[in-house]
Amino acid sequence: MNKKRATILNTVIIFSFVLVSLRLADLMIINHKRLADRAKQQHMKVEDIQVRRGTIFDRKGRELALNLDLESLYCDPETLDADNEDIKKLASFVSKEPGAILSKIPDEGRFAWIERKLEPSTAEKIRGLNIDGLGFMTEAKRVYPRGEFASHIIGFVGVDNQALEGIELKYDKYMKTTGGKVFLQRDASGRTLSSGVNMEAKGNNIVLTIDEVLQQLVEDELDKAMAQWKAAAASAIMMDPSTGEILALANRPAYDPNRGGSANNSDKRNRAITDLYEPGSTFKIVIGTGSLEEKLVNPASLFDVSRGGIEVGGKTIRDVHKYGVLTFKEVIQKSSNVGSIMVGMKLGRERIYNYAKLLGFGEKTGIDLPGEVSGWMHSPERWSGTSLGAIPIGQEVAVTPLQMLRAYSAVANGGYLVRPHVVSHILSPGGQVLASMKDKEMKRVISAKTAETFKNILKSVTEEGGTGKSASVDGNEVAGKTGTAQMINPVTKRYSKEKYVSSFVGFVPVDKPRLAIIVVVYEPKGQIYGGVVAAPVFREIATQSLSYLNVPREDNAGRSSLSVFK
Amino acid sequence: MIRKSGMNLLLFMCKPLLIFFLIFGVFGLVYLRSSFVKLEYSLGDLEKKKMNYLKERKMLLAEKTKLLSYAKLEASHSDSEGFSLPDRRMKVIYLAKQKSLPYRASLERSQLAEP
Repeated sequence: MNKKRATILNTVIIFSFVLVSLRLADLMIINHKRLADRAKQQHMKVEDIQVRRGTIFDRKGRELALNLDLESLYCDPETLDADNEDIKKLASFVSKEPGAILSKIPDEGRFAWIERKLEPSTAEKIRGLNIDGLGFMTEAKRVYPRGEFASHIIGFVGVDNQALEGIELKYDKYMKTTGGKVFLQRDASGRTLSSGVNMEAKGNNIVLTIDEVLQQLVEDELDKAMAQWKAAAASAIMMDPSTGEILALANRPAYDPNRGGSANNSDKRNRAITDLYEPGSTFKIVIGTGSLEEKLVNPASLFDVSRGGIEVGGKTIRDVHKYGVLTFKEVIQKSSNVGSIMVGMKLGRERIYNYAKLLGFGEKTGIDLPGEVSGWMHSPERWSGTSLGAIPIGQEVAVTPLQMLRAYSAVANGGYLVRPHVVSHILSPGGQVLASMKDKEMKRVISAKTAETFKNILKSVTEEGGTGKSASVDGNEVAGKTGTAQMINPVTKRYSKEKYVSSFVGFVPVDKPRLAIIVVVYEPKGQIYGGVVAAPVFREIATQSLSYLNVPREDNAGRSSLSVFK
Repeated sequence: MIRKSGMNLLLFMCKPLLIFFLIFGVFGLVYLRSSFVKLEYSLGDLEKKKMNYLKERKMLLAEKTKLLSYAKLEASHSDSEGFSLPDRRMKVIYLAKQKSLPYRASLERSQLAEP
């Protein structure tokens, strides 16, 4: 009996074990892959690594463009449970009509955006509604905390952080980075365990050559000039003439890059590099340096301009005032058109063209901003009979303000053509310098002697008797040139009698130039001359900038000293 | 006889000890594993907190940048607190610090030394 019981018991136990083993084999061998995948689905969650664009800094490390994490509202149409009252409240929070909100909710599908990148307070209010089927996703929003400041340099991005203008566009590939996906473990209630992976990937940072204070000074003075002369537009650039570093670049009108998508196209134009103008007398740098370099003239060479006009190709070009006999220095100082054309005739069309090309006219400067144009100047074979009377005085040529500034910087720095740039270096997210934009292209275009001689001639422009006296700065010597040019009427294709471009370009201090500045005012009302409209703007910018940079005065008048113990 | 009884005692103790260590080991492993998972939960919560603080930090940085802009400083302080660019007429000379000043209460070591 006992033996029989034992046998039955053993059989049952063995049978049970076999059943369990078979079940185990089924679960762990036959259905292993399917169940493992299902478990993985339940235990694992895939999240995107959040990608952030690099920050843009000015040269002193002040942030000009950065990222904010904002909530974007989406809905799951299948599970959405919202009545009309909820939709009304939601619409009021995002300042839209209820109909506009309803139009964003499709009939099918599991995902649809309602509103992107909400302010935190708005997101909180919407959360408070507790509407089923609505959810939030964190997205990066590019923010320009200083508004219109340096907008033409920085540029802006679109709603999906795609670069559209300025440095954002030019250096897009450095500032953005690839993301990725991270697998996170989660429990039954959805809580995630740590992955040990950094959930944010950042692009490289850009450090500009721009100085915030200098940029603000320039923008303020441009605003004042626009208001005073009721001008259509204005541009100003400040550059280190020795290195090509752009310290400030401003245009008016400007726009707010935080609302770049809705700004006017004309407000977004970076006129300093995209707009061409006939430079007028500032172009006399070409015949000035060319004739000195070719040793055709010296500062004391005499020119009889007493007739007040000169005929070239059947057309008479006149001086604004009648002069007698002028030295070459005075021809430039008083901006005599007749004298300049005489010098141009000595130089000849081939050499005028060559020196213009040497000084960088007719080609792009290579600045690291998008949209630069090269300007134009006809080759000598295409010059008409009147060209020799027009080109030396800055007509029948088209330049950008930056090209003009670069040419004068060549005189300021002893004869080298620099490459203007707005980016100083690129930093990794960890702060290491990845690339530095040192100027490698310093081409000598005129001799040091010519540069020095012409510099002294330009200095006389801002002294008594010169057209640019209003550009003189208290305490330092300024060298520069005024320009007043008629604009071409696009309808009649002739020079307009009402619309002018007033400009002044120069550098300070003369001996060791720290700043080269150009100011261009388009269509000023009431006055037209560069010496009256643009030169005072140059003076104000230069005076304040020299103070900010603590550039020593070159005179000792009224100087007191204060001794301070360290 | 005594040696034989000693060996027997050892053998007698071995079994329960072995079972004890086995059970202790298993429970120890389970305890370690659960602690590890608890730590991962904490890290996960901390990471979430970190992301929230980073979000807040970015907001504050943007606010700070706006407030510290030169334009804002200029606008708010130019009248009242003399916020202005340096006067280049004033020349400031920095001198090295003087070693001993007459009004110091204590003497320096060099002054205490015999002349």
